[in-house]
Amino acid sequence: MTINRNLGLGLAFVALALLYALPALAPRAVVQDLFGILTLLVLAMNWNMLAGFAGLVSVGQQAFVGIGAYAMFAAIILLGLDPLVGVLIGGVAAAVFAVPMAFFAFRLNGAYFAIGTWVVADIARLGISQWKALGGGTGTSLPKGTAKEMAFVDQIKAMLDVSSAAAADALTYWLMLSLAVAMLVASYVFLRSRMGLGLQAIRDNENAARSVGVDPVRLKALVFLLCAFGTGLCGALAFIQITRVTPDAAFSVIDWTAFVIFITVIGGIGTLPGPIIGVVVFYALQRLLADYGTIYLIVLGCLGIAVMLFARRGLWGMFTDRTGIDLLPLGHRPPQGGRVTSPTRRTA
Amino acid sequence: MITRRTLLKSGAAFTAAAATSSGLALPALAQTKKLKIGYVSPQTGPLSAFSAADSFMVEKFLASAPGLGLDVEVIVKDSQSNPNRAAEVAKELISRDGVNLILVASTPETTNPVCSIAEQEEIPVISTVAPWQPWFIGQQGNPADPASWQAFDYVYHFFWGLEDNIATFMNMWNSVDTNKKVAALWPNDGDGNAWASPEVGMPPALAAQGYELTDPGRYQNLTDDFSAQINAFKQAGCEIMTGIPIPPDFTTFWTQAKQQGFNPKLVSVAKALLFPESVAALGELGHNLTAEVWWSPNHPFKSSLTGESAADLAKAFEAAAKRQWTMPVGFVHALFEVAADAISRVDDPTDGDALAAAIGSTNLDTVVGKVQWGRDNVPEFARKNISKTPLVGGQWRRKEDDTFDLVIVENAGAPEIPLGGTLETLS
Repeated sequence: MTINRNLGLGLAFVALALLYALPALAPRAVVQDLFGILTLLVLAMNWNMLAGFAGLVSVGQQAFVGIGAYAMFAAIILLGLDPLVGVLIGGVAAAVFAVPMAFFAFRLNGAYFAIGTWVVADIARLGISQWKALGGGTGTSLPKGTAKEMAFVDQIKAMLDVSSAAAADALTYWLMLSLAVAMLVASYVFLRSRMGLGLQAIRDNENAARSVGVDPVRLKALVFLLCAFGTGLCGALAFIQITRVTPDAAFSVIDWTAFVIFITVIGGIGTLPGPIIGVVVFYALQRLLADYGTIYLIVLGCLGIAVMLFARRGLWGMFTDRTGIDLLPLGHRPPQGGRVTSPTRRTA
Repeated sequence: MITRRTLLKSGAAFTAAAATSSGLALPALAQTKKLKIGYVSPQTGPLSAFSAADSFMVEKFLASAPGLGLDVEVIVKDSQSNPNRAAEVAKELISRDGVNLILVASTPETTNPVCSIAEQEEIPVISTVAPWQPWFIGQQGNPADPASWQAFDYVYHFFWGLEDNIATFMNMWNSVDTNKKVAALWPNDGDGNAWASPEVGMPPALAAQGYELTDPGRYQNLTDDFSAQINAFKQAGCEIMTGIPIPPDFTTFWTQAKQQGFNPKLVSVAKALLFPESVAALGELGHNLTAEVWWSPNHPFKSSLTGESAADLAKAFEAAAKRQWTMPVGFVHALFEVAADAISRVDDPTDGDALAAAIGSTNLDTVVGKVQWGRDNVPEFARKNISKTPLVGGQWRRKEDDTFDLVIVENAGAPEIPLGGTLETLS
């Protein structure tokens, strides 16, 4: 077990090092593709954390993406700050927005919670459409040359010997990769901790969890705020690459929530590797089918339905069921020897 | 019969096939001498009516290119009517396909993200079918602060502007006896905000000619109840109605207006009445509505690529696509005309700076009129990137068989385009 584990860790580090070195090795198209994949991955991991582990099925993730993007644009255009500072502000703004959102949405449960978050996201979209300084319903673009003047771009340009546009690509890619790795590690550590166990207990049966001393509201609120922060950071970073923001694009329920739900469901909701598998499948389908217009969305829909019917725990769930192999297991092994002091837990 | 096993198998095969074609494996290293042109337009989604002529025009261009000595390849991408997707395909065209030139058409939702990306990546773009104000001002960092606006180095746009549309509508209204009270339906989107703007929009033009405006404020697209607006218009006694709603909103508004007894003498609506399909959806209520006309088979221009007149081009399209001509037909064709002309004037079209300079110095008579940047009919700040094409006013006439004809009834802005009839009022 330990040998396997060390080998696995070693392989993971090599893969990670390769991913970090990628901008120096691969052409820009690959870096941009991976940036797109990582963006969806971070969004999917955040949604999986909410829906898969905390039982908070949110359909309002686009609110955090949009708030993050708009806060970043405001920081750059209105305050003249560096885009990287803008990204951080975007994350913080999304987390701040999550406080009142949680206050209202947590009064609702299940399907009502889902609709409630969607409503709040739409209110945010309509509100932002009134913000004249950032173009109102028209939207706005990043000022010319913003990406080139971003901090560290010059150093990367010199280091990799590439154009400033490619250096900006590399920088945003590294940041998104780091965000994805940080999300994965943080989720793993959190879910293996006492609080993580409490969280999953709440998801499975809130009353039972309360009876053994878990505070559901506090835990759920904490996860909700952290996921809002992560989603906001991700949205702000993504919009540095898109360079243009409009309320409809930033608060697009299809781009930032529907696809993300699809990815998580396909890959395996409630498992950590699930979103990774899902994003690979989704991206492959997008590359294959995006030029066929509406057929693409029809195929996505059919595949989603098929997985929900025939592999309810997603592709990763099916894989673990059949092989018994589980990377990043969240269960705890029973204590060894003598007396059993605490009940064994296995996550469903 | 699908079992879990077969699904798993086919799923795995699918993923494997996808992985090999995803481009992660090896980038193509072979460079051909062919010039690569990317073309982006909304081929699916709510804006797809603009792209009906795309494949017909691309084929026409590719067929005539060898005759002009051009060795080109056109890579067509669909924006899915989604600005995020438009930005994504622009990036793809530039870094994956390595295009030397991008052509983009139809509505700021598609043109603006593509142009913003290309300007940053220093790839030349020829753009069309979006009024120039939302195109130029919409791409500025701070649209509210004219002092901060900058011209672009790589992106060039040809179309008309709000001022032309406003003048066309007002010329029509001036020719009819009304109480000069105007009802305005302007949404909170790129077009609506530009029309409602107290600086560049319609309000100052109306005031200058003694019209009285009733503007109940910006509304969100896809509203399903316009009672508040209709009441405001009725109370003010408006005899003229204008606006720039999206087609489904206009259908809702106009049906409700009729039910609630709002009967203006003239209705001049931009954007919603461009396509025969959207007018036909109104049935009888569509008769004698007026709209801006940017191209028609009666325009006295001919193609620099094929020598066809506007009428020939429309006829060829109608025969190939088996549907009535639409205004974008001429503009999509003109896009390729301008591209072919610019490419043929540079020694090395793969040099982005040279190609951008060649586009900027275009002086070409196309099937939509003259395209030349830097003329003085555009304000100083945008002159470098904007070339204006003529705009006239038209009225939809319902025929016996329930189809509609667009008749040109106003041509003060472009007298070279012949009138097809005289303006009629609704009541």
